[in-house]
Amino acid sequence: MIDHMRYLLREGVRNIWSNRTMSLASIGVLVSCLLLTGAAVLFSLNISGAMKAVEGSNSVKVYMKEGLPVLNALKAGDEIKKLDNIKSCEFILKDDAIKKVMGMLGDTDATLLEGMTGKDNPLPDAFQISFKDLSRYRDTVAQIRKIDGVSSINDYSDVAAKLTKLDRMVTTAGFWIILLLSLVSLFIISNTIRVTMFSHRLEISIMKSVGATDWFVRVPFIVEGVIIGLFSGALASGILRLLYERMTGTLTSITLFKPLDIRPMQPRITLWFLLAGAAFGAVGGLISIGRYLKKEGGDVVEW
Amino acid sequence: MPMGFAARGPIGAETGRTWEFLGYGAIALIEFQNVSKIYSNGTMALRNVNLHVDSGEFVFIVGSSGAGKSTFLKLITCEERPSEGEIVVGDQKLSGLRRGDVPYLRRTMGMVFQDFRLIQKMTVYDNVAFAMHVVGASSREIRRKVPYILGLVNLQDKADCHPCELSGGEQQRVGLARALINSPRLLIADEPTGNIDPALSFEVVDLFSEINKRGTTILMVTHEHSLVKRFGRRVVEIHDGSVVADSCNWEARHD
Repeated sequence: MIDHMRYLLREGVRNIWSNRTMSLASIGVLVSCLLLTGAAVLFSLNISGAMKAVEGSNSVKVYMKEGLPVLNALKAGDEIKKLDNIKSCEFILKDDAIKKVMGMLGDTDATLLEGMTGKDNPLPDAFQISFKDLSRYRDTVAQIRKIDGVSSINDYSDVAAKLTKLDRMVTTAGFWIILLLSLVSLFIISNTIRVTMFSHRLEISIMKSVGATDWFVRVPFIVEGVIIGLFSGALASGILRLLYERMTGTLTSITLFKPLDIRPMQPRITLWFLLAGAAFGAVGGLISIGRYLKKEGGDVVEW
Repeated sequence: MPMGFAARGPIGAETGRTWEFLGYGAIALIEFQNVSKIYSNGTMALRNVNLHVDSGEFVFIVGSSGAGKSTFLKLITCEERPSEGEIVVGDQKLSGLRRGDVPYLRRTMGMVFQDFRLIQKMTVYDNVAFAMHVVGASSREIRRKVPYILGLVNLQDKADCHPCELSGGEQQRVGLARALINSPRLLIADEPTGNIDPALSFEVVDLFSEINKRGTTILMVTHEHSLVKRFGRRVVEIHDGSVVADSCNWEARHD
C-alpha cells in the first residue's frame, strides 16, 4: 500500500515537471486569485478595525472659521461648553496643530514648519470636544454648528457611513472578482492537467489494458493539482505578507492610518491559502480526469 | 472483485525458468452466444457470432480489414458491450459485469499490441514493472518478478535499455513480457508481428506457442497467412461481422 501511494505521488510530481509551462501558468493564476482574496479580506478587516476605532471614540473636532480672532474662537468655545451634553472642550491653537501634523510627517528639524506658521498656517483653530451621552450625538453636533464662528465639524458618523459604504463596495467587488478568478483558476488548472493527461494517453491506455481502476488513473492527476495548489497557497501567503507590509508601511508614513498587524494572522492566512489551493487543485484534477474518462471512455484500450 | 476474476497469487511455484505458473486446466474460457454488435452510427460490426474457446487453446483470428476482428477483441475486453447475445469469460457473464469490475476482468488477460505500446521514456524494466504498479504490486514483488519474466523472453540483458534502442522483435518481446507479468489466463494479441521484420515473426509466434504450451489461452489476430499455415492451429475467420470459418485445417482450404 505504501509502495502504491509512493508510486502514485511520484507520478503526480513527474506530471508537473513534464508539463512545467502549463503548471507555472496555473500557479500564476491561482496565486493571483488567492492574493486578491487575501487583499480583499485584509482590506475588510482594516475597515472594520477603523470603524470600531471611530465608533469607540466619543470625541469630535470643531474647526473655527479661517481668520477668526483667537478671542472670538474662545468665546465660541465658552458657548460650546455651555451645552449640556459636553463633557470636555479643549482648545487647539492652529500653531500647535500644524506642529503636530509636521511632526507626524517626519519634519523633525522643522524646516517645513518655518513657512507654515502665523498667517501662512493653513489650519484653523479648533476645539477637541467629547460628549456625555453618545445617543444625543447628532442633536449636539447640530447645536454646535449653529454657534457663531464654527466652520465645520469632523463628523465621524459620516466617516463611519463612508467606511461602511467602502467596505460593502470592496466586499461586493471582491466577491465577484474572486468568483471570476476562481473559475478562471479552475479552468486553467483543469486544462493544465488535461494537457498532461493527453500527453499520457499511451500510459492511460496501457493502464486500462492491464486492469487499472479509474481511481488509479485519477490519483496522479489529483496529486498534480494538489501540489500546484499547495505551492500556490504558500507562495501567495508569502507575497501577501510582503506586499501588505510594504503598502501599510508607506501608508502609515503619509497618513494617520493605523493598519492591522499581519504577523499574528499569518499562520491562519497560510493555512487557509494552503487549504484553498489544495481544494482548487484537487477539484481541477477531478474535473479534467472525470471529463477525460467520460469522453474518451474509461474502458479505452484502443485496439 | 467479482467471482471468477480473483487475481492469482504471486508466483511462488516457479522453479528456474519454467512456464508452469501459467498452467490451467482445459475448461471453456470464452463463449460467444448469438452475439451481435451494432454501433451507434448503425454499423453492424458483428452479427450472430457463436464461438467457444477452451482454456489452453491457441486460436488465430483472421479476416480482412473492417471484418469485425477489433470489435471481437473489444467485446472480450469489455471496451464495448454486445448489442445482442451473451459473452462468457471464465465463469463470468459479461452482460452482468459492472463498469467497476472491468479492471478486475482485465487483470486476468494480457494484451499485446501491433504498435508495441511501450513508453519510450521508460526502460525495458520500468515498462514491464509499470503493469505491476497498476495492479498494486509491492516493490519487493516487482523486483523479484520483472527480472524473471525478462529472462523468459530473453531480454534479461536489455533491462536498462530504452525501447528506441531495441529492434522491433525485441520491443514486441517487451510487450509480451508486460502482458505476462500479471500471470494472465488469456493472452490477446492484435497483429503482434505486424510491425516487425517478417524473418522475426516466426520467432515471436514461437514464443507465444511456448507460452501456450504451458496452458495460457492465446487469441491472436493476424493478417499473415504464412504464420497461420506454419503453426497449424485453430483458425477463426471473420468476414463482414460473421464467423465464416472455424477449423484446424484452415490452411488446406485456403491453399
